[in-house]
Amino acid sequence: MKLLWFHLMPYPELPPDFNRKHRSVWVDIDPGLFDPAVVAESYERYLDQLVYAEECGFDGICVNEHHSNGYGLVPSPNLIASVLATRTSRAAITVLGNSVALYNPVVRVAEEMAMVDLLSHGRLISGFPVGTSMDTAYAYSVNPGILRERYSEGIDLILRAWAAKEPFAFNGRFTQMRYVNVLPRPLQQPHPPVWIPGGGSVETWDYCSTRDFVYAALSYYGHRMAKETVGGYWRKVEENGKDPNPYRLAFLQFIGVADTDAEARRLYREPAEYFFNRSLHVYPGYADPPGYVTEASVRARYKSQVRAVARAKQAKHDLTWDEMVENGYVVIGGPDTVRETLEDVARTFNCGHLLTMLQFGNMSDELTRHNTKLFADKVAPGLRNLFPEAVDHWWPANAVPA
Amino acid sequence: MKRIVYLPGIAGNPARSPALDILATAGWDIVVPDLPGFDGRPGFQPPDDYLGWLTVLWDALDATQALPCPVLGASVGGMLGADLAALRPEAVTALAVLAPFGIFDAEHPGLDLYAVPTADRMSHLFAKGVPEPFTDRFGELGPDEGPVARYLCDVAAASLLWPVGDRGLASRLHRITCPTLVMWGDQDELLPVGASAAWAGLGPVEVVAGAGHLLEWDVPDDVGRRVAAFLGAV
Repeated sequence: MKLLWFHLMPYPELPPDFNRKHRSVWVDIDPGLFDPAVVAESYERYLDQLVYAEECGFDGICVNEHHSNGYGLVPSPNLIASVLATRTSRAAITVLGNSVALYNPVVRVAEEMAMVDLLSHGRLISGFPVGTSMDTAYAYSVNPGILRERYSEGIDLILRAWAAKEPFAFNGRFTQMRYVNVLPRPLQQPHPPVWIPGGGSVETWDYCSTRDFVYAALSYYGHRMAKETVGGYWRKVEENGKDPNPYRLAFLQFIGVADTDAEARRLYREPAEYFFNRSLHVYPGYADPPGYVTEASVRARYKSQVRAVARAKQAKHDLTWDEMVENGYVVIGGPDTVRETLEDVARTFNCGHLLTMLQFGNMSDELTRHNTKLFADKVAPGLRNLFPEAVDHWWPANAVPA
Repeated sequence: MKRIVYLPGIAGNPARSPALDILATAGWDIVVPDLPGFDGRPGFQPPDDYLGWLTVLWDALDATQALPCPVLGASVGGMLGADLAALRPEAVTALAVLAPFGIFDAEHPGLDLYAVPTADRMSHLFAKGVPEPFTDRFGELGPDEGPVARYLCDVAAASLLWPVGDRGLASRLHRITCPTLVMWGDQDELLPVGASAAWAGLGPVEVVAGAGHLLEWDVPDDVGRRVAAFLGAV
């Protein structure tokens, strides 16, 4: 099993009464809440934490893309990835942006990711999320009704551009170019591994399994809520006649490790409450632009009680710490407790890539490093040997597992 | 029988507005083209761009064989009707638009309807409460398929308007040469009445008191009478 260290890079100083005095952490958040000095210091600290994760033995480090928000300070993941490419030497550089439908022409994404792959000497994982509704439909004003078509066409163009032996013309529905000739090409040929972050769209399961891309289930509501999503994905893999290789799947989980279960409950309460009640305080009006969710997913939504409950929770924004723990949003405890839970999750989900969220909310640097080190030393060894027979076809050529 | 094309607004056409009943009583045969998406039928995918929408609309209109004739367009339908009159002037003998989209006024941006939670959107279209035909639209399809149909209807309108409802009409208004009537609700949340100034090139804007965005539903008698008088005069 591969273990990756994921950083959202949140703004860490939203006020305690943020979710009462402000409508949303995304899209129309008051820019006056952001102190540039705090952001600058945060970038430096967060980059150091990602480098530290490699030092601790994580197989990969992850960044992503979000816009106009206080939830994650990375509108351009390629900038962060380029820094990481030169400050690390072994870990997979996992870029779970770029939201390709936002860029025109999309070959810019192909160019920048190729550069990251070269700077890292072939350690790039190229993630292509559709992007949240807040990022795409509102912050970038892309028509949600055609977002997924733009997205799919963009990925096709990028992959072709990376592997093409000669310049070509492209006449797509949304992009027309007389000359496509992305230079430099990425080091990994025909292309770096492709991972598709998803939150439960029926079409994304089908897309990943038919195209042999990794499906990265990114739910911030933990393993219990993700069962339905992961199950749906594996059913689609089977329907499409693909093998159940656990490395087809990545799954994200918030984790807090301490010396004891009781200590973990004490240590991680504040950053978890910060994340779920401030960083995720999204105005419900930005969650459901017409067309963002496909017809099939809307149909599934109205037939799924589980998701109805999840939506109600997401709209609530006043989760209690007990709810976060009891519902599995955060897996916390002593090393044995965390390992047992995650091993069970990995086996149940048949998941070969675990995206660990060991920094969240306003977690201090000291606690982040404590969490990371404890996980690496006392939890990871019990997970690494899972799925020994499986071959990871979705790992960068030159990223060296710990 | 006199004939008029009606292009409905942002929430589709769940029933005939009482305003149109007035026109029918005055002897007008009202033709409503079958626009995909707004009917909530499964399998809808929006056209790639506005030109694609105009093509879909014109195909639907031509299928009715109603043109040339007067066109009454509301909201989204007002935008489509204005473009029909601008680009196919031979097809439109008179144009009445009710709070049309198509020109965005940054000084009067109005409410972003699609940044309102889904369940609350309908209430912002009317000044006098949501009319019964809109309260349970597609309810006959049941609890599973009804919401899907409502969603697809929203997708159709939103895809026509995203992100600000401007389709460059300001540069084409001068091509409209038929008689025109522009009406606006003074309580329109989506397109505040101040935004109507952009349409002044088509003649004086008639502001209707007590009306929201879908004014033919809020004040049907007033709107019906004014449109009937306009049509009668031309």
